[in-house]
Amino acid sequence: MCVGLSAKVVSVKDGTAVIDASGAKREVSAQLLDELEPGDYVMVHAGVAIAKITQSEDDEAENVMENII
Amino acid sequence: MNENVKAAKDMITGYSGRPLRIMEVCGTHTHEIFRLGIRNLMPKNAEIISGPGCPVCVTPVGFIDEACWLALEKNCTVCTFGDLIRVPGTEMSLAGARAKGAKVRPVYSPLDAVELAKQNPGENVVFLAVGFETTTPSACLAAETAKSEGLKNFSLLTANKTMPNAYKALVGSADAFIYPGHVNAITGNKTCIELCEKYGVSGVVAGFTANELLTAIAVTLTLADKGKPFFRNCYPRVVKDEGNPAAIRIMERVMQPCDSEWRGLGVIPMSGMELRDEFADFDARKKYDMPEIKGKPNPACRCGDVLQGKCKPCDCKVFGTGCTPQHPVGACMVSGEGACSAYYQYS
Amino acid sequence: MSENTVTLAHGAGGKQTSELIEKVFKAHFSNPEFTADDAAVLNMEEGRLAFTTDGFIVSPFEFNGGNIGKLSICGTVNDLACMGAKPLYMTCAFVIEEGFSLDKLEEIAAAMEKTAKEAGVKIVAGDTKVAGKGQVDKVFITTTGIGRIMDKAHTSGKFAKPGDAIIVTGDVGRHGCTILLARDEFGIEADVSSDCAPLWGTVESMFEAVDDIHVIRDATRGGVGTVLYEIAEQSNVGITLDRESIPVDDGVRGVCGMLGLEPLYLACEGRLVIFAPESEAEKIVETLKKGKYSQNAAIIGKVTEDNKGKVIMETEIGSKTVLPQPGGELLPRIC
Repeated sequence: MCVGLSAKVVSVKDGTAVIDASGAKREVSAQLLDELEPGDYVMVHAGVAIAKITQSEDDEAENVMENII
Repeated sequence: MNENVKAAKDMITGYSGRPLRIMEVCGTHTHEIFRLGIRNLMPKNAEIISGPGCPVCVTPVGFIDEACWLALEKNCTVCTFGDLIRVPGTEMSLAGARAKGAKVRPVYSPLDAVELAKQNPGENVVFLAVGFETTTPSACLAAETAKSEGLKNFSLLTANKTMPNAYKALVGSADAFIYPGHVNAITGNKTCIELCEKYGVSGVVAGFTANELLTAIAVTLTLADKGKPFFRNCYPRVVKDEGNPAAIRIMERVMQPCDSEWRGLGVIPMSGMELRDEFADFDARKKYDMPEIKGKPNPACRCGDVLQGKCKPCDCKVFGTGCTPQHPVGACMVSGEGACSAYYQYS
Repeated sequence: MSENTVTLAHGAGGKQTSELIEKVFKAHFSNPEFTADDAAVLNMEEGRLAFTTDGFIVSPFEFNGGNIGKLSICGTVNDLACMGAKPLYMTCAFVIEEGFSLDKLEEIAAAMEKTAKEAGVKIVAGDTKVAGKGQVDKVFITTTGIGRIMDKAHTSGKFAKPGDAIIVTGDVGRHGCTILLARDEFGIEADVSSDCAPLWGTVESMFEAVDDIHVIRDATRGGVGTVLYEIAEQSNVGITLDRESIPVDDGVRGVCGMLGLEPLYLACEGRLVIFAPESEAEKIVETLKKGKYSQNAAIIGKVTEDNKGKVIMETEIGSKTVLPQPGGELLPRIC
């Protein structure tokens, strides 16, 4: 239901962040996340950063798998 | 293919436990599952079915009629996410309205629609607010921004939906749910944990990459085979148990729950969101004094059954003949996320 | 109306029309065959000729990597090149909106001449019409071209055969992505420029290197995905692609990620899709990689006996799926 884009925060100012997804840049709202800093990775949906991404995909998969076996 | 992907894939293809039906309830999951060819990997005794998770697909005919009315009768500039443009209304889609001279503009974000209104004070801009908990905060941000800037030419036509009561309506349709990762990124996992503990409904929260989806499916098969209800968050790098508190707060400030019609499913009590009275000036239905518009869906279309997993797209009489992605009858054929469209395109 | 814009008088056929032709078109399209008469007189060589026409409307008319003038030459040159034809002569017809900048018109004409020169083709006749304000969107161009087909060239969309390798001459979808960004409807910025290029040299180099090429198509509207479906149908074969070997520019990937678009459906204006026997494929790619416009050439798939009319994608997780057939308006998928 919701195409999310994982992107790197380039800059943050007044509740707006510039994000970069493999070279494509756009301004998005940063109002829903506290303490966003350049270099953070975020999940973006419909022009709004909705979540901070806290670990890599591979680490996540490894942890998730370890927990069921 | 990295190690994780390979391990998860082997677990899926090697599954030999009891027969399972897994329902994904997110259109982007539907789309990615087809795009990656995951269905072709599924073992004989485990099936993936698609639930009602594409906002375009669950948006009722009447909503399109309302949008066309605003565009044609009130000369509003209708801003919308792209896929909604081709969804059939009773008489026409928004693309049809555009051909009659209506101003219909695809936008990436509701906030872009606010910007458009700011820059064009002579135009009455209406944003079509569809979507689930992931998307609703962006519409709320748009309403708050418009209010704080005192915009007089911006409003929302809302059809926002929420998942909890839809899950309850779907209990029994599948052995386990694959929960929509980006909805849970906002709402947190409370509802899913409750479904597991109170109703014995199993499920996992999944991300959207190949790695994340395969991992989530592998986890589901492994745990479902054991027969005990379970809940696992397989997308912890984005989804926290508490969700996004700021997003939840803005939804509560700007909107309130209401009954809502789902295409094919009918009205599900308290499964929608509407603007609070404080935002009445930004509610297109009130602002333009809209009469009650009731849409008439095509009776042959079985989107409702498809959305509930009661039939496959190919079981519908008009599928692939009267209803194709080029000429959709039901909404499920419109969006690339729609179950019928995905089924038509990829199989 | 200021002197620096095109007026209805420029299209009326009188003195001002002559001035426009002298000042803008003759000044740029200078070659002995450019005619002042009703039709150009050409000396033709013997052999098979290829003859084609194409209309160009693009909004905006200028974009990163080119303008409508360059596009209008490339489009027709590339159509000829796909038939193995060396482009010889072209004509061009303009429909210009009243009030269009004369300076911009000159820029367009200059780009046309530069591109034509590079492709070795001569512009020998033209026509100009001026339409009232709002009747056309700035400027529309139609070009027609004629070329001589190389003796060894026998290409057609009908000639794809099971076992053929499928090659693209570079990364896909850049022109479409550039135009999308140039329209600035979605607030996205990316360093992407159009792949718009005249490809006769590219085709010539391939025919110098190998003898047997079955199909050459330029992937324009609808992108590489559309071309593949067309060929699968015309030749009544199946196509299997390898997702990971399809070259996509990073910026294009980022933009597509944001808008939920598939790069294979975005237009190219300087990319060829080539079907040739597998035994020749490596040699073709090697040759292409030395070329100015095809350094990122890659083998992306093969032709199969089964799955007739379909394009199957081998996905990054080692499974298979059908590439959806592109159709209708390309709309961003957001929610």
